[in-house]
Amino acid sequence: MTAAGSAGAGAGTGADAGAGGAGVAVRTEGGGVAPYRSQLPPARDGFLRLLHAEFTKLRSVGRWLLTLLAGAVVTVLVSLVSAGGSDAVTSGDGGGGGGSGAAAARVADSFRFVHRPLAGDGSITARVTDLTTGADTDAPWAKAGVIVKAGTEPGSPYVALMRTYEHGVRLQHGFEHDVAGGAVAGDAPVWLRLTREGDRLTGYVSVDEGTPANGGTPASEGVAGGGEGVAGGGGERWREVGSVSVAGLPETARAGLFVAAPETVRQERSFGSLDIGTGPSEATGVFDHVRLAGGSGNGGGDGGDAAWRDEAVGPASGPAAANGPAGGAERSGGTFTVTGSGDIGPLPPAADLTWMSLAGAQVGLIAFAALGVLFITAEYRRGMIRTTFTAAPRRGRVLVAKGAVLAAVAFAAGLAAAVVSFLVGQRALRSGGHRPPQFPEVSLTDGAVLRAVVGTGLLLALVALFALALGALLRHTAAAVTIVVVLFVLPLVLGGGLPLGAVEWLFRVTPVAGFGVQSTTPRYEQVETVCVPEDGCMPQGPWAGLGVLAVWAAVALALAVWRLRRRDA
Amino acid sequence: MREGRRGTVPDAGAAAAAGPAAGRAVGRRGVRRERGPGAGFDGLRAAGRAARAEWTKLRTVPGTWWLLLAVAAVTAAVGAGAVSGLSTAHCPPAGCREDVVRTSLSGVWAGQAAVAVFASLAVTAEYGTGTIRTTLTAVPARLRVLAAKAAVVGAAVLVAGGAGAWGALLAGRALVPVGFAPYDLGAGPVLRAGFGSALYLALVALLALGVGTALRDTAGSVAACLAVLYASPLVAGMLSDPEWVERLQRYGPASAGLAVQSTVGTDGLPIGPWAGLGVLAAWAAAALAAGGAVLRSRDA
Repeated sequence: MTAAGSAGAGAGTGADAGAGGAGVAVRTEGGGVAPYRSQLPPARDGFLRLLHAEFTKLRSVGRWLLTLLAGAVVTVLVSLVSAGGSDAVTSGDGGGGGGSGAAAARVADSFRFVHRPLAGDGSITARVTDLTTGADTDAPWAKAGVIVKAGTEPGSPYVALMRTYEHGVRLQHGFEHDVAGGAVAGDAPVWLRLTREGDRLTGYVSVDEGTPANGGTPASEGVAGGGEGVAGGGGERWREVGSVSVAGLPETARAGLFVAAPETVRQERSFGSLDIGTGPSEATGVFDHVRLAGGSGNGGGDGGDAAWRDEAVGPASGPAAANGPAGGAERSGGTFTVTGSGDIGPLPPAADLTWMSLAGAQVGLIAFAALGVLFITAEYRRGMIRTTFTAAPRRGRVLVAKGAVLAAVAFAAGLAAAVVSFLVGQRALRSGGHRPPQFPEVSLTDGAVLRAVVGTGLLLALVALFALALGALLRHTAAAVTIVVVLFVLPLVLGGGLPLGAVEWLFRVTPVAGFGVQSTTPRYEQVETVCVPEDGCMPQGPWAGLGVLAVWAAVALALAVWRLRRRDA
Repeated sequence: MREGRRGTVPDAGAAAAAGPAAGRAVGRRGVRRERGPGAGFDGLRAAGRAARAEWTKLRTVPGTWWLLLAVAAVTAAVGAGAVSGLSTAHCPPAGCREDVVRTSLSGVWAGQAAVAVFASLAVTAEYGTGTIRTTLTAVPARLRVLAAKAAVVGAAVLVAGGAGAWGALLAGRALVPVGFAPYDLGAGPVLRAGFGSALYLALVALLALGVGTALRDTAGSVAACLAVLYASPLVAGMLSDPEWVERLQRYGPASAGLAVQSTVGTDGLPIGPWAGLGVLAAWAAAALAAGGAVLRSRDA
C-alpha cells in the first residue's frame, strides 16, 4: 500500500499526522490521483510498510521516547543502588581454600576419611549396613561410601561411590559430576565397589541380601587385605553404576571409607520474613566386609589393619563442623562405624553478582510496561486507531507489526540498560568488597553473564509486549498498566512473607518467572539449596523461566488479536 | 494569578460546577440547580460546594464504584489467601512468632494499586476528556478544586479501604491455621492495624492524586505511583547492607506506612507504627504540594 509510505513521509509532523496521512492516501488511491503507486502486490509489501509506519509513530511521540529513556535510566540507577548498597558478607567458611583445584572453582571438600594407600590398579569394596543422621540433622544428601582420592588435601581429585540418605546410590567425581545409581530399599545393606584401572574408575553396586558373587567378602573373613586380587569385580549380581575417567590421580592414591553430611538448612519464619540458616549436621555410616584389593605395593593385607588411618579431611566448613562433633571412626572386628560431617561437592558462590547488578530491571520494567500499554491505548484514546485500521484493515497484522516494532525498540533499550547496569554495578560491587578470592570476577564475555544481560533485554521486551497485548485487550491505560505491574511486582514484594512452597509456585507460573534468565548461579542436583528468589535463585532454569514469560506474552497477544478482530475499534 | 480574582463569585461557581458535572455524567438530567444564592462569602461554604461538586462527578462515573469495590475486594481476598497459606512447617522451635494480623492485612499491598488507579483517574480523567476546563471555569480557585478532590477521594478510599481491611481481618481470624494464635479484633494493636490500614490507603490516594495533578496523564501517573510505592520494598529486598535496608524501610512511603500494621514486636521495627504513617503523610503532602504548584502555574 502507499498508505504506509505516506505515513512515513508525514513522520516529521508527529504520529497523528503520520497516520492521518495514511488515511488520506487510501482515499486518493481510490480517486486515481495517486502519483506514486507501488508495483508490489499489497499482501506482500504490506507488512514492511506497516512496520515502518508503526516505527514512525513510536519514534515521533516525545513522551514515549521519554518513557523508554526513563525505563533505561531507572534500571541503571536501581541496579547501581542495589549493588552499591550491598556489603560483601564474609561468611565463615573458606570452602576448599587450600586445595589445588579450589582456587579456580570453589568446592566443598570436607568429610571423615578412613583410608589406606592404593598403589596402582585395584579395588575397594565395602558393605554399608546402616546410614543414620544425627539428632537435629536434616540432610537428605548425607552420604557414606567408598572413595578413591589423590590425597587427603582438600580439592584433590577423587571418585566416590556412595549411598545417600534419601537419594539412593550415587557415583560422584570432580566435585560437579553426579551419576545416579538407583534407589536403595529402606535399610537394606548396600554393597559398593570402586575399581581402578589406570585413570578409569568404575563403580559397582549390589543390593543382594547375601554375598555378591565373585569377589564378595565372606562374612566370616572380616577385613581382609588384597589377597584375592579381584580387581575385575563384576559378577552377575554386581551392577555397574558408571565408569569415569579422572585425571590427576597419582600412582598411589588413597582409598577408603568416607562419611559426610552437608549442613542442615533451616528455614525460619518470623515477623513476616523468611530466614535461612544453616545448622550442624552429622551422619554415621556402618561398614563391614571392607576390603582393599589389588595394588602392587599393597601386599600387606592382613597386617594392614594398622594401616587404616582415620582422618578429617578439609577445613571445618561453616557452622556445621565448628559446632558439631568433628566425627570419628570406631572399629570393632570387621565393622567400621564412621561419623562425619561436611560435604564433597561444588560450592555455589555466596552471591550472584550478575543478578545483583541487574536488579534494576525489577523497577525499570514499570516504565517498559507503561510504554507498551500506551503504544496501543493512546491510539484508542485519540481515535487514531480508526485511521490506522482504515489504512491497514487487517487488524491482526497491525497488532503484530506494533508488537514487532515495540519489542525491537524495547529490546534495544533494555539491552543497553542491562549492559550499563552490569558495568556500573560490577564496579560498585567490587568497591563494596566483592572481590575475587571469595567472589570470582565476572565479565561480560562469560557465557552465563552474557545470557543474563541479553536475557534482561529480552525480558524487558517481553514485558512491553505483554503490556501491549493487555492494553489492546482492555483498551484502558490505567487498568492495563496496573495489572502488568501488579503481576510482576507483587510476587517480588510479597515473596519474603509467604511460605516457601507458595513462593516457588508463584515464581514458576507468574510472569515473574522471566527473571530466572538473570540468574547465573550454577545449580547442582547433588547439593541441597534453598531457592530464595530474592537472592537470585529461581526455581527454574534461565531459559525455562523466560519461556514462561514468553508464553504469557504470546497468549495475551493471541487473545488481543482475537478480540481486536471481533470488536469495533 | 490565573485564578481570575475578578471572576470569583463562589455561588455562581458552585452552581456551574455542579451543572456541567451533572450534565457530563448524568446526561438527561441536565443542569441541576443549586439551592439558594447563599449570601455568605465564607470560604468554608465555597469549599463545601466544591466538595459536593467533586462528589457528584465522582459518584456518577461507574468506574468509581468498580474501583472502590476492587480496593475492598482485593485487599480482603489477598489477605485471606496469605493467611490460609501460613504453615507452621518453618516455625522456630520456640513456636510461631508470626504476626498474623499483619499477614491478614498483606492484601493492602495489592489493594493500593487499585487505589493509585482510582485517585489518579479522579484528576487525570478530567484532563483526558477536557472536563478540567469546565471545572476550573466553575471553580476558578484552583487550589480549592484540589482540596475538594482530595477530601472526596480520600474519604471514599478511607471507607472502601476500611471495609477491605476489616474484611481481611475478619476473614483472617476465621482462617488462621492451627498453631498460630488467633487475634482479638478489639485489641488495641489490632484496632490500630485495621484503621491504620484504611488510613494508609487514604494517604496513598492523596499521594496518587497529587502525582496525577502534577503529571496530568493517567499512564504516567499510575506508573509513577506504582514505582514510588513498590520500589522501596523491592530495592530493600535487593540490598544486603542492613543500614541501607533500614533507611529504605524508614523513608520509603509504602514500607514506612505499612509499619502501622505491625502488632508484634513493634519496638524492633525500623520505624514506629504512627511515625511510619507520618512518613507516608509527608510523601502525600509533598505530592499534593507539587500537584498544587503545577495546577496553579500551568494552563489547564
